[in-house]
Amino acid sequence: MANTNTVSQKSEEVESLLQRLHEGVDHGRVPVGLYGNPAVYEQELRQVFGRCWVFLAHESEIPKAGDYVVRKIGEDDFIVTRDQEGGINVLFDACRHRGVKVARASAGNTKGFVCPYHGWTYDIKGRLTGAPLWKSAYGEMEKSDKGLLPATQVDSYQGLIFATLDDKTPPLKEYLGDMAWYLDLVFGLNEHGVEVLAPPQRFVIEADWKSGADNFSGDDYHLGTLHRSAIDIGAFPVPFAENMKGYHIQASPGHSLSFSMAGSEEEPGPRFFGFPEELSSTFDTSRISQHQLDAARMSRVFVGNVFPNFSILLLPTTDDASKHPATGMLTIRCWQPKGPGKIEAWNWFLGYKNMTPELKQRTYASGLATFSMGGTFEIDDTEPWITIARTGRSVAGEKLQMDMNYEMGLPGIGIATQIKDGSWPGPGIVYKSRFEEGVQRNLFRFYGAMMSAPKDQFPALRFETEGSDAPAEAQAQA
Amino acid sequence: MNNGLSGLGALAGPSLRDKVSDWLLIEAELLDDQREREWLEKLVSKDIVYQVPLRQTVGRGVGKGFVEGAYHLVESWGSLNSKLAQAETGHSWAEDPQSRTRHFITNVRVGQPRDGRVEVRSNLLLYRTRQDEAAPQIFSGERHDVLEEAGDGFLLARRVVYLDTTAIASHNLAIIF
Repeated sequence: MANTNTVSQKSEEVESLLQRLHEGVDHGRVPVGLYGNPAVYEQELRQVFGRCWVFLAHESEIPKAGDYVVRKIGEDDFIVTRDQEGGINVLFDACRHRGVKVARASAGNTKGFVCPYHGWTYDIKGRLTGAPLWKSAYGEMEKSDKGLLPATQVDSYQGLIFATLDDKTPPLKEYLGDMAWYLDLVFGLNEHGVEVLAPPQRFVIEADWKSGADNFSGDDYHLGTLHRSAIDIGAFPVPFAENMKGYHIQASPGHSLSFSMAGSEEEPGPRFFGFPEELSSTFDTSRISQHQLDAARMSRVFVGNVFPNFSILLLPTTDDASKHPATGMLTIRCWQPKGPGKIEAWNWFLGYKNMTPELKQRTYASGLATFSMGGTFEIDDTEPWITIARTGRSVAGEKLQMDMNYEMGLPGIGIATQIKDGSWPGPGIVYKSRFEEGVQRNLFRFYGAMMSAPKDQFPALRFETEGSDAPAEAQAQA
Repeated sequence: MNNGLSGLGALAGPSLRDKVSDWLLIEAELLDDQREREWLEKLVSKDIVYQVPLRQTVGRGVGKGFVEGAYHLVESWGSLNSKLAQAETGHSWAEDPQSRTRHFITNVRVGQPRDGRVEVRSNLLLYRTRQDEAAPQIFSGERHDVLEEAGDGFLLARRVVYLDTTAIASHNLAIIF
């Protein structure tokens, strides 16, 4: 009985936090109790990570038949394999006999996987091919329905492999919605596309995965304070106030992004995210429109988050301002949930495939020096996230009903204005100047919708009024 | 015992070994005593190559899992200097308050000197606490160093730090191994 009470108390606690979120998000209020909270986290694993499209790997990590990497959906291991036909398989890493993990290494090349317990054996597509002394043990038992369980849906976009465990989840393209336009702009600047420069760095942070998602949805305002020291030493060439010029974009429900962008030819660069001329001269309209190419040309920084936990950052940085001018570097992130208020950050650096080896080396060195776990930017980022999770699970935060503040850019607050005159060529709800937190309200609004979604329904993946106010934000104003 | 079985081949005699060991201990003292600036300027070669390779879990018989060309960190003298300059700005939050570190250096093996350079391997246990947290972060690994003779002592010309984990149990690597 006591146990039942505890369970229902927990679910009441989550319900009440979500209720506060639903009511507050359009006014810029998000309950801090959603962070680092064990009961919330349990619900996130099922409602968010169990239902959304989750990023697993880049196709260039498994180029050859037999290549595999072990990745996660929520906390669960999945093997991402490349088969002989070039296809990609995402397989639950659990033997169908007793549920034992079959992938022993974190990456490699193999013909298949053997369970260490009794020896059930699977090929690279996850099909059961046999077990020891098969005739005596199993004889005529059907094999075809006993392969490693594949993720319910698998798809890739611009080389990014995603999967979901829910058959009710709409297809990836629909899930990404207008975020695809912006992914094209980052990953499709030329016909060659991008590749990983190395396997991902992994490091454990005592922080909530939502901190990563929130930060990369377009939290540009923190640069002036948290990253002041990195800017002071010239690791990033655009001054804080200048860098606040640009756009905040809610591409689709849940997915947000931000551009630091020069407003005219007269305004300072760098152009094309600081990629040097030798590369940017190969950027063309083979995979994107002239509008996208023009926007990329004027861009200094792109930062964005695909709901829930996949982040992208492209900007000019340097490891040593006295020797090397800042150069464009592209990193992608997965904020992997690892328990309440705990993440394992997975951090990849990418380069365009047609970069010279020297340029790949340069962009990798710049990335490692700034956005690796020992980088001049990244070292400071994790610092506040740790204490947010601590505040989130505090009794004080609960008793005092503490909300975090996301009011920046709401009507009448700050200088950001919504662009409705068509002067921005891309899709989404667009604000000019980056003094704006609608990008994060979009993240939390969709988060709330996912957390409260009934089993048979998936939240709306398009804004109700295209290219106009988010209806919820319009209501908040009324 | 000098049977050539070390990865360094035949080891140096006791006099060089003592000299190198002292150098390593003094270096550790500087790093633990918040004297990184002195460390960089007095003990580090302007041409230093400093790397922390990235590691994956791999099956037995296919090596230790270090991935060629993949790193957690790659530093030059200039980038190390940038990081110290960052810490000295007065608003670098990650290391202010500064971590308390303790470098434990053991299993020192010193190779035969060649052309004024000597290869050194040592085991590293780096203990770190932050703020009022009682639980430490602990890094274990092996350092492969190259010291170059300079005046009476040495300068660190190369350091590769082979860590003993794939996922790093730390929120940052704002420390010097």
